[in-house]
Amino acid sequence: MGKTLFEKIWDTHIVVEKENGPSLIYIDRHLVHEVTSPQAFDGLRMNNRTVRRPDLTIATMDHNVPTNNRTLPILDQTSKVQIQTLEKNCNDFGIQLFDINSPNQGIVHVIGPQLGITLPGSTIVCGDSHTSTHGAFGALAFGIGTSEVEHVLASQTLWLEKPKPFEIQVKGKRKNPHAITAKDIILSIIKNIGTSGGNGTVIEYKGEGIQDLSMEQRMTICNMSIEAGARAGLIAPDEKTFEYLRGRKYTPKNYESLVDYWRYNLKTDNDAKFEKNYTLHIDDIAPQVSWGTNPGMTCDVTESVPFPETFSKGDQNQKKGAEKALEYMALKPGTPITEIQIDRVFIGSCTNARLEDLIEASKVVKGRKTSTHVRAMVVPGSQMVKKQAEELGLDKIFIDANFEWREAGCSMCLGMNPDILSPGERCASTSNRNFEGRQGTGGRTHLVSPVMAAAAAIEGHFVDVREMDLN
Amino acid sequence: MKGNVIKYERDNIDTDVIIPGQYLKVHDYAELALHAMEGLDPDFHSKVKEGDFILSGRNFGCGSSREHAPIALSHSGIKAVLALSFARIFYRNAVDGAFLLPIEIEEDAYSDISEGDEIDVNIHTNEIKNITKNKIYKMKPFSEIIGKIIEAGGLFKYKPD
Repeated sequence: MGKTLFEKIWDTHIVVEKENGPSLIYIDRHLVHEVTSPQAFDGLRMNNRTVRRPDLTIATMDHNVPTNNRTLPILDQTSKVQIQTLEKNCNDFGIQLFDINSPNQGIVHVIGPQLGITLPGSTIVCGDSHTSTHGAFGALAFGIGTSEVEHVLASQTLWLEKPKPFEIQVKGKRKNPHAITAKDIILSIIKNIGTSGGNGTVIEYKGEGIQDLSMEQRMTICNMSIEAGARAGLIAPDEKTFEYLRGRKYTPKNYESLVDYWRYNLKTDNDAKFEKNYTLHIDDIAPQVSWGTNPGMTCDVTESVPFPETFSKGDQNQKKGAEKALEYMALKPGTPITEIQIDRVFIGSCTNARLEDLIEASKVVKGRKTSTHVRAMVVPGSQMVKKQAEELGLDKIFIDANFEWREAGCSMCLGMNPDILSPGERCASTSNRNFEGRQGTGGRTHLVSPVMAAAAAIEGHFVDVREMDLN
Repeated sequence: MKGNVIKYERDNIDTDVIIPGQYLKVHDYAELALHAMEGLDPDFHSKVKEGDFILSGRNFGCGSSREHAPIALSHSGIKAVLALSFARIFYRNAVDGAFLLPIEIEEDAYSDISEGDEIDVNIHTNEIKNITKNKIYKMKPFSEIIGKIIEAGGLFKYKPD
C-alpha cells in the first residue's frame, strides 16, 4: 500500500522505532524564541549538557518585544530580562540569534521561510504551537513544550507517537480571490470540523483550492491547523514552493539536486490511505468573521450572530460554551455581523503579516481614512517584510489612512507585550485565536482576513469586503 | 490519589485562560500558580487545595504550547486533570515535565461527578472511585509510551527498554 506525504517524512526521520510503540524522531531544524526557552537552557546547564547541533538551531525574539521605536529601551523589566536571557543563552551555547536590532528579526514562523531555513521534507520544531505554519512547504512542523525544547536541544530528537493522517480536500475556485482569502478557507474548515476535529492527526491539505494559493497564503492555512487541534498541517511542495525558496539566505548550496529529489518523492501516493477525510467546496464561500471565543465559533459576514441552541445542535456543552462566549463578547444572538462596531484593528501575527497580506490590505485602505472611533495598527511579521513593504510604499498608504505602522513582532496577537486591548475593547484581528483575554484582559477578538480587517477599520464596523471597490 | 474535584462544565478550556499571556514572563513557579485559571475563574487560587483535581469537558488545554499551563496548575496543587479529551500539546507537556496527570474519562464520570466530590484516582487499575457518591468509573488507560514516561517521572528520566 502507498504512503501519505506525512508517513514518508516520518519514516525518513526514524532513529529508533518500537513495534506499536513510540518512535524516536530526528529533528532537522529547531527554532527558538525568548518565551519558551529559558527553563530549557537552565535544564541543560543543571545537567552539564550542551546543545547537540547548534548549527541546526536558530533563535529570534518575537513574543514580548515592543513594536514601537526600537531605539528606546525596553520598559517592561521582565520582558527585558527574558530578551537578555535569550542573548546570553545563544551566546553561551553557540546558537545563531537574530536579535531585536537584526534586519532578520521577526516572528519565528515568518522568518524561517523567508531565510530559507524551512525546507520541504524536513522536520521542524519550535516551542510555539503555530510551528504548523512551516507545513506549507511540505515540512513536518509542530509545536512543543519547554521540556521537549530541552530534549531537542540536548539530543536533536524527540520521542513521539505517530499521529494519524487526515486528508482535507479543498475543491473549487474562489470567485473573488481578493476578497475571499486563505484565512476564509481555513476558518471555514475549522468552523466545520471543530476545534478538536484534527486532534491526534497531521492534516494534509489537497486539491485545486490549495494548489491555487501562493506560498504565503498556504502558510496562513497551515498556521491555523493547530486551531483545529491537529499536530501539524502539510501541503505537498510544488514548483511554487521550490521557486519561493530559491536563492534565500540559508537555502542549501545543492538546492537544485534537492529539488529534483523533492519533486518526485514528496507527495502522497495515489493508493495511500488516510484515517480521516473532509472536503470543503470553496466556490461560494463568503468572508468569515468569528463571533465567539474559539476559532470554531465563526460565521459568514452575511450572517447574524447565532442563537446558542442553533449553534450547539443539541450538545449541552456546546450550548453553554456559546452562551458564555456571547456574554463575554457582549453580543446578542440575531445581530447582523455587519452591525458589530469595532474599536481596534490589528493587522499582524504569524497568520497574516506577510507581504501579500499587507499588499492586499493596502488596496482596501488606499485613499481612505480609518473610522474616527477606530484605532488601527499594522505590525509586519518581520523586519524583512517591513522593509519590502516600505519599498512598495505601503507604509505611506497605511499611515495616510491613520494606521500605526510598527516594527516586527507578535504584538497584539497574544497580550504579553505592550500592544494589548483594554477591557471591553472590540478588535477586528488578523491573528489566530479569539480566546477570552487573548489580546488583553477583557478584550474581545474577532478573527478575520487582512482585507476584512482593513475594511472594518475604514467603516468602523464589519462589512462584506466583496462590496468595496478595491484600489 | 485522593482529592476533591473542581468542576468546569464546558469544552475547550484553552491555555490562555489557564495562564494568560502576560504571565509567560514569570519564571517563579509559585508566582505563576497565583494566576492559574485566572482568565476563567478568578476565585480558583482561593479555593484550590493541594491534591485537588480539575474535571472538565472536551479538548482541555487547546491552544498554545506554553508549558506554563500545566506548571501553573501543578504548582497550585492540582494532581490531575480529568477531561473527556485533551489537546495534544497540553497532554504531552503535562506528562513530559511530570507536572500533573491528564486523565481521559468517559461521559458517565463527567456528568456524575460534582464540584467538591471526593474521588480516588487509581492509574494502575484505571478506576476512579467517587467516595462521596460511592460509585466507580473507568478511565481510559494511558498509551504505552505515556505510561512509561509517567512511571519514569518525566521525559528526561525515561529510558527506553
